[in-house]
Amino acid sequence: MEKFDAIVVGAGPAGCAAAYTMAKAGLTVLVLERGKYTGAKNMWGGAFFGPVMGEIFPEFRKEAPVERFINRHIISFMTKEDCLSIDFKSYHGDEGSSPGFIMLRAKFDRWMSTKVEQAGAILATGLEVTDFIFDGSRVAGVKVGTEEFPGNVVILTDGANSLLAKKAGLRDDYKAPDLKQGVKEIIKLPREVIEDRFGVSGSEGVVMEFVGACTKGLPGGGFIYTNQESLSVGVVVQLSALLENNVKASDLIEDFKEHPSVRPLIRNGETVEYSAHLIPVSGVAMMPRLYSGGILVAGDAAAMVLGTGLILEGANLAMAAGIAAGNTVIGAKALNDFSALALSQYESLLKESFVMKDLQTFRRAPHFLENPRIYNDYPEWTCAMMRGIFNSTGKARRNILEVVKESMKGKIGLMQLVGDTLKARKAI
Amino acid sequence: MEIIVCIKPVLDPDLPPAKFTVDGKKNEVIPPEGVPFVMSPYDALAVEAALRIKEAQGGKITVLTQGTKYAEEIMRKALAMGADEGVILSDPAFEDSDGFGTAHVLAQTVKKIGKFDLILCGRQAADWDAGVVGSLIAEYLNIPVVIRAKSIEVLDGVLKIERISTNGSEVFELGLPALVTLSSEMGQVRIPSGWGIISAAKKQVPKWGATDIGTDPSQTGAAAAVNRLVKLYVPVYERKCEMVTGKDPAEAAARLTEKILAIKP
Ligand SMILES: Cc1cc2nc3c(=O)[nH]c(=O)nc-3n(C[C@H](O)[C@H](O)[C@H](O)COP(=O)(O)OP(=O)(O)OC[C@H]3O[C@@H](n4cnc5c(N)ncnc54)[C@H](O)[C@@H]3O)c2cc1C
Repeated sequence: MEKFDAIVVGAGPAGCAAAYTMAKAGLTVLVLERGKYTGAKNMWGGAFFGPVMGEIFPEFRKEAPVERFINRHIISFMTKEDCLSIDFKSYHGDEGSSPGFIMLRAKFDRWMSTKVEQAGAILATGLEVTDFIFDGSRVAGVKVGTEEFPGNVVILTDGANSLLAKKAGLRDDYKAPDLKQGVKEIIKLPREVIEDRFGVSGSEGVVMEFVGACTKGLPGGGFIYTNQESLSVGVVVQLSALLENNVKASDLIEDFKEHPSVRPLIRNGETVEYSAHLIPVSGVAMMPRLYSGGILVAGDAAAMVLGTGLILEGANLAMAAGIAAGNTVIGAKALNDFSALALSQYESLLKESFVMKDLQTFRRAPHFLENPRIYNDYPEWTCAMMRGIFNSTGKARRNILEVVKESMKGKIGLMQLVGDTLKARKAI
Repeated sequence: MEIIVCIKPVLDPDLPPAKFTVDGKKNEVIPPEGVPFVMSPYDALAVEAALRIKEAQGGKITVLTQGTKYAEEIMRKALAMGADEGVILSDPAFEDSDGFGTAHVLAQTVKKIGKFDLILCGRQAADWDAGVVGSLIAEYLNIPVVIRAKSIEVLDGVLKIERISTNGSEVFELGLPALVTLSSEMGQVRIPSGWGIISAAKKQVPKWGATDIGTDPSQTGAAAAVNRLVKLYVPVYERKCEMVTGKDPAEAAARLTEKILAIKP
């Protein structure tokens, strides 16, 4: 039976980046993907940040199925009836040169996996890896049901809640607060309507993040991203909070779509897709062991997701980690040594890259973001303050400081505010 | 036993209608992006039938498909299921051919291959449901054809075929070479194994164009098409509900009868 240099489990951003890196270096690579085709079951919000895409695929700006380049960020705090937004537009550089862009997984995964095949890797879809072949304690390949596929190294990139990482002994059970659930709809709208409603033209795009009533005050947020001819509209909520409060994410997204500040943006749109997915959010605190004899783990499977409350990044970290894993295996192959010691190079590479640096910098963010005041009191307070400032009652106006004080009353103590601000400074 | 199987990529028939749209001006279906076409399910039955014959008595299976964007993908699937070789027919001259043009291309390819005992096709393609290509290939090659087969057996060089007819089924025996089209009553199609997919990925699949197979330019492409698409649209089904009442069941029934009679056939 043929033995591959590397077997990659899962053809998402992490797996494709790893496979592409290794196949280009001439290694024999087998990618196993459980979806009927790549991208079949995958979802995300859709905003990709940073230069890593260009580093691995220099031609991506011309070739990749980019929906829109991000030049406008809107962050909103919402209560049931109000919405206070910070709207940031940036017109540096040419259209299409923005480092952030929006993509749809179905198209992106297909594009990326075609690249992987062109580089010489074998991609086999419709196959779900169920177990490993062990040689003593060392991983020596994978099993799909009764079929066995031997390989020198297995790279686990099977996404959030990787059961295989557990089977390989790389991690323990997660706790419910470690995971968030994301639900998303793709809502079809004509391109001109999107451009008019969101104030963009050509390939420009907007990402909108919402905090507050969109999750009924539970830790999480809402988002709307502009695609070419559709909107990605979704809600991300801490799984444990959903369970404890007996709330369904599918109900939250319905309410979110009905919010007075969201409804006009999606009006007359047709929902063409609905999907749900887990996100590992506890960062370094939940990270598994990243390598062992004959195995490496990268991307969501290794909880490499950065959430600061204002941004959610996972795909770029997944790709950077995939590249590092690929390069580690290339080095191991040159020495024909696939032991844990040889593969420990992976962790060193990650520590030098933005992946571990960012996750370290924001290691306190996950705990900070569990603070319920962020999703209840602060949106209530800031919106009440704005109401106070803009509301003309016919009576004498008070000065702004008094309005601020008044709006805080019964909602937020000054000490809490100071305390939370200090925590925020440390965490994000 | 040399078996040739013809397959076609189609938009996945399992896709919900919301996934694709129709461009009424160009009379074209706009497929959803990122969702690959699949092998027409009837053609997959033809591949399956070929594999069963090969398993029973040996032989070689060659798969043909006329090259569109997804030809390579469905070819790999057929090879992964267990077919031995494949050829993709690809030439700008073949584009926009109708069933007659396609049958000409496939028949010319079979002639070029030369050696064959049996040609298998799906009973119809799951996109247009025209169901003419199989019969036309047989016509062009001047060999017998049986359409809508439920089962095929080969015994001492004689084909025994049970075919679905309007009132049940018919059993035919015919000599080789022959062409048979397969119907869904044949049964389940196998799922490729992992190693099947791996060995398929490594196979070379040649592409043949008009000059390789010697097609007649007047018989392929849009200009040669005998069928013309007049209008393509997504049908709208309307349901109306009307409650018929009466002071007792007899009166309600009488009113209902009146209404039914009033509907013109
Ligand atoms: C609602 C939501 C919004 C998000 N928004 C963003 C965003 O805007 N920007 C951003 O950067 N990130 C975002 N993310 C996170 C991002 O999607 C992930 O971090 C990223 O996809 C991780 O890539 P991956 O390759 O590690 O895993 P995945 O993309 O999950 O890929 C894993 C692959 O493995 C396959 N697989 C799983 N198990 C097996 C098995 N046993 N055998 C074979 N194959 C298997 C799966 O089918 C899948 O193809 C979001 C996530 C969610 C849920």
